[in-house]
Amino acid sequence: MGKIFVDARGSSCPGPIVELSKAYRNAKVGDTIELWATDPGVKSDVAAWAEKTKNKIESITEQQDKIVVVIDILNR
Amino acid sequence: MEKIVIVGAGAGGIILANSLNTKKFDITMLDKTALNVFQPAFLYIAFKGAKANIIKPTAKLLKKGIKLKIEEVKKIDLAERQVVTDIDTYHYDKLVVATGSITDTTQIEGLTEVNKQFGDYHTSIENAKRVWDSLSHFNGGTIAIGMASPICKCPPSPLEGAFLAEELIRKKGLKSKTKIAFFVPYPRAYPSEAMNEVVEPLLKERGIDVYTFFDVDSIDTGKKIISSIEGDSIKYDLPIIIPPHVGVKIDYNPSSVLDSDRFIKADKYTMRIEGFDDAFAIGDATAIPTAKSGVTAHLQAKTVAKILSGIDVKFDGRTNCPFDMGYGKGSFVIGSYTEPVVRYPPTRIKHFMKMMMEKIYWQSLKGTYDFMFDAYFKHTDPAKLNRKYGSKQKSV
Repeated sequence: MGKIFVDARGSSCPGPIVELSKAYRNAKVGDTIELWATDPGVKSDVAAWAEKTKNKIESITEQQDKIVVVIDILNR
Repeated sequence: MEKIVIVGAGAGGIILANSLNTKKFDITMLDKTALNVFQPAFLYIAFKGAKANIIKPTAKLLKKGIKLKIEEVKKIDLAERQVVTDIDTYHYDKLVVATGSITDTTQIEGLTEVNKQFGDYHTSIENAKRVWDSLSHFNGGTIAIGMASPICKCPPSPLEGAFLAEELIRKKGLKSKTKIAFFVPYPRAYPSEAMNEVVEPLLKERGIDVYTFFDVDSIDTGKKIISSIEGDSIKYDLPIIIPPHVGVKIDYNPSSVLDSDRFIKADKYTMRIEGFDDAFAIGDATAIPTAKSGVTAHLQAKTVAKILSGIDVKFDGRTNCPFDMGYGKGSFVIGSYTEPVVRYPPTRIKHFMKMMMEKIYWQSLKGTYDFMFDAYFKHTDPAKLNRKYGSKQKSV
């Protein structure tokens, strides 16, 4: 059970979801992915992604300089 | 004189070398091939059967005084400030890595076999011709087109392929017996929302089926089925699949400067390789979170040339990816680190501008059109365009 850290701050094209997909490819059930982003679209994108891939969003926190999304990998 | 070694003589490396003062710097370029290829034309070889007159000798594209060595780089030792090739060892004061990206079909089960038979339009002229051959022999069925992993150079290129395939099929009179299945690992057809709003109506209008969250896991070449990590599948007759992109195979010391796909970790503003003040990486070779495209390589090369010359500047993440939407219309994907992508509608003039790039490419490597590019980038500033065309909310 590992923690995968993804820094996608500043990425708007193609976007943070690309970095998340890339991390998911190497993830295993039980891992946690922590994604940092500045693109506000990340919130809805990650929600749709988690629903599709059947993984769980643990938290979405808006900080002053970034959005932090924590995802529990339940399915891979 | 300060010794500068540039590894890689693609567009980024050549623009960088030509932007430096050869009286102030001792510049050596290393590349395993002596030829430069205009890669954006692969799209037109694959989907329009265009002639492949897109290669020039690198030596003819460089200013006088730049040394070009046709050698294969084996190791980059950042700690010892040296580059080892198959022939020699080069010591440097400053290093710029501009090695681009390569495709790797071995990452996906079944993809090597598919690629050998049907080709792709990101690897080589030969592979692009194979796509054209496959399309020329196609008589109906399902064309499955998309990307095999989330990273590829030229973010608009997967959709460009789908749009041009549809245009070709319609012109050949095969539309009624053809299904075009476009698959992406993203939540929508185009990853940035603003540009997706532009392309979605076009996809509907042209009857292209979109499979989102489709990250290719494996291909069963016997049953002709592509399966995704998310659990979906597409049955194909003609697969046109963009292979995963990775960094080139060069040993680095320390190896920690590479990510898991061998892309180089570098500062997104200064392009300095993580942990090193005297080494830079530009273009497709980096893990910097921006589009892998010629324009990015161009602008990063210009920024690094200024930094090397003692000017304190930063790359702002500006993208300007040309986007062919078929039927003679095109657009550009324009954004930056601080400005979200513009909702930029397609027009004929933008398509014309994209097509003109092939004509001015070689001269643009020499800096002949810098004045024109400077004016263009100023005129198409993403903040200005976003005020005109609107976009989604601003970044945090």
